[in-house]
Amino acid sequence: MNRTILITMAWAGAGFAQILDPALLTKPATDAWPTYHGDYSGRRYSTLDQINQSNVKHLTLGWIFRIKPGITPEAIVGGEGPTPQGPPTEPGTYQIKSTPLMVNGILYFSTPDNAWAVDARSGREVWHFAWKGKGGDHIGNRGMGMYGNWLFFETPDNHLVSLDARTGKERWHKEIADLKQEYFSTVAPIVVGNHVLVGVSGDSLDVPGFLESHDPETGEVQWKWWSEPVKKGDPGYETWPDEYAMRHGGGMTWVPGTYDPDLHLYYLGTGNPNPVLTGRSRKGDNLYTCSIVALNVDNGKLVWHFQPSPHDTHDWDATQTPVLIDAEIDGKPRKLLGQANRNGYFFLLDRTNGKDVLTAPMIRSMNWSKGIAPNGQPIPDPAKEATIEGVLVSPQTGGATNWPPPSYDPDTGLFYVGTSQEYSMFYLTDTDPHPEGWGAAERDAGHLGGDLEAIDIKTGKVVWDHHYPFTGGAVGILTTAGHLLFTGDGAQHLVAFDPASGAILWHAGLSDDLSNGPITYQLDGRQYVIAGAGDSLFAFVLQP
Amino acid sequence: MTWGNLCRIWPAIFALSGALTGATRNYDPAAVERGKTTFVASCGFCHGSNAKGGEKGPDLLRSVIVLDDENGSTIGPVILRGRPDKGMPRFPLSQEQIADIAAFLHNSIKTAIERDNYKILNIVTGDAKAGAAYFNGAGGCHSCHSVTGDLKGIGAKYEPVTLQGKFLQPNYTWEEGTPPHKVSAITATVTLPSGESVTGVIVHYDDFNIALRDAEGNYRSFQRVNDVPRVEIHNRLQAHVDLLSRYADADIHNLTAYLVTLK
Repeated sequence: MNRTILITMAWAGAGFAQILDPALLTKPATDAWPTYHGDYSGRRYSTLDQINQSNVKHLTLGWIFRIKPGITPEAIVGGEGPTPQGPPTEPGTYQIKSTPLMVNGILYFSTPDNAWAVDARSGREVWHFAWKGKGGDHIGNRGMGMYGNWLFFETPDNHLVSLDARTGKERWHKEIADLKQEYFSTVAPIVVGNHVLVGVSGDSLDVPGFLESHDPETGEVQWKWWSEPVKKGDPGYETWPDEYAMRHGGGMTWVPGTYDPDLHLYYLGTGNPNPVLTGRSRKGDNLYTCSIVALNVDNGKLVWHFQPSPHDTHDWDATQTPVLIDAEIDGKPRKLLGQANRNGYFFLLDRTNGKDVLTAPMIRSMNWSKGIAPNGQPIPDPAKEATIEGVLVSPQTGGATNWPPPSYDPDTGLFYVGTSQEYSMFYLTDTDPHPEGWGAAERDAGHLGGDLEAIDIKTGKVVWDHHYPFTGGAVGILTTAGHLLFTGDGAQHLVAFDPASGAILWHAGLSDDLSNGPITYQLDGRQYVIAGAGDSLFAFVLQP
Repeated sequence: MTWGNLCRIWPAIFALSGALTGATRNYDPAAVERGKTTFVASCGFCHGSNAKGGEKGPDLLRSVIVLDDENGSTIGPVILRGRPDKGMPRFPLSQEQIADIAAFLHNSIKTAIERDNYKILNIVTGDAKAGAAYFNGAGGCHSCHSVTGDLKGIGAKYEPVTLQGKFLQPNYTWEEGTPPHKVSAITATVTLPSGESVTGVIVHYDDFNIALRDAEGNYRSFQRVNDVPRVEIHNRLQAHVDLLSRYADADIHNLTAYLVTLK
């Protein structure tokens, strides 16, 4: 039977079954993973418990799906760029960093310029879409968003592309940013109501970041929020020396945010300011870069902000997942937001108003802060900003952690994050009063390994950590009601830990390091765990 | 973990792609030089000689008109017609001169974008005497190294930035002895429940497996379950790792200044 007939049959059988039920987006998924984090909270905790501590030892390989990106004979092709000769050469195109969506039995995921639909039961390809781009950084793509039958993803050359989930055929594409200004696009769009929220990447040049809301039907822009105040006199303007520095101040929006339907707020971590490694031309706190912001999802208006790294000069953006946590503090139920930040601190905020509840260091090597201010913000030590002769700083620009999604388990009350302890020298290279781009050079100066950490959100204390003397670092994490934590170890294994104690319960060798956030779902009464490693998706199941 | 590159998990995930749009183009150095000369003479008075802006004219390296330009396509009309509303006169330059100016501007932008190529300036600003004191005192360097032995002439062998990098984070493999043979700083001893122990250079190490190359060159691999067999890791360069949390920046500057004098 040829491939076309197979695919046609798959469609005929499925009919309109791929339609996404919007209600799925507000409750923890069991038979679906309908948005980047599974639900809007960013906890990456599943209530599924078929796979649990009593049987995890029997977890075994269900299937492997290996991607073949590029303009293959079967690919549905879109885009305005030239037709590439041969397969893609950018390594990022072969790295599955995206968290797959799973809706009505089909997985949807992407890498730069490519998107796939794969049967979630069998790992068979349903369709593959390939984009002919005009360039842009192919460092990664974090996934897709879904609204009804419509899928959305971003391309390295800054297009928002909408596909029909049933066929993989393009509906429309819209340019969201200028490639020539060194913008590129990686983020997984998040769909809230009839808003498709998209962001941008790129800090090679000094351009401003923004978040845009698009209409899912037409692709038209509904609103645009800039990461910096737009003009002189706007709130936050006082944190910049002048309008010029402010409008060239960076603040990219390259990791998906979270959403509280009751408060109607979208929570987003913003990128670092520009110029990146020197703050001479941008004295002040540089709002709203390196910030956690709460936006009204209907109009993009800022409701509150908290800035984990005021006047950052080390590329420590605050884009890490702002995880929504409901827990009791001092006996009172609170609506909270936790973030394990790239700068080396864990923050717990009140998500109704952005007030800091707790700030606690996550790594011992950190040496850039003079302490914590009464409002919970770390106080940067100006002596650790790049100089001509160099300063030794930990963490490195890559941070104590980074974009790979952490997890919060309500059963343990612990926040799980992969961290690394590393040092770099920072040398000022651009001594002009108006430096451009990064303005300073970084040189690797040493590593102390990394840890998988379990942080008590109420005290900020590390309850347990699993130390990796040579690996470790930021890594995607999933927790489940089966009292399991799934993550990677930097040695090409998927590992299941006991989230309460840190004991290792199970592991399996993969063909590469875990490269995305693992997910889980149940279909036909069977629970699956899906992990991306390099160019392959791996499905694990219990044998019936 | 693959031992060869001492990698951590995130470089695989975060490795920067070189596919930067504007940065991949190379500009003819002669055209860049000609463009600079013309630019300084005709445009530098308002835009600054480095095009970063002056009293009257804006920074052209951040100008969207310049970023959008291809070989003079968008800056040409502005140069030829001027911008009378903004006080910019017209300049009757030839197409070749405009193309050269474009090459100069785009090359300057490329220099800002390509951060891996930023030139580190003079880092030898420390006090060599204080560096010597640190070497022989608080730093503890003298307990393993000698400035008349293994470090003799080291200041002539490496550029200061490389030299500094070598004491902050030395190479973990090197050659020594007669005849020279390859040595690895990190080794492990595996002790089996039977009491047998195997020592060698680590080929692979994680929570579930360890593989060694022993002194005879044999490859030995062991499964690990709950830390059994016991693994002890030795790092001959641990003192360098321990210094990372103890250095003051001045110690690094002074030590560099001292080592540079060892010609």
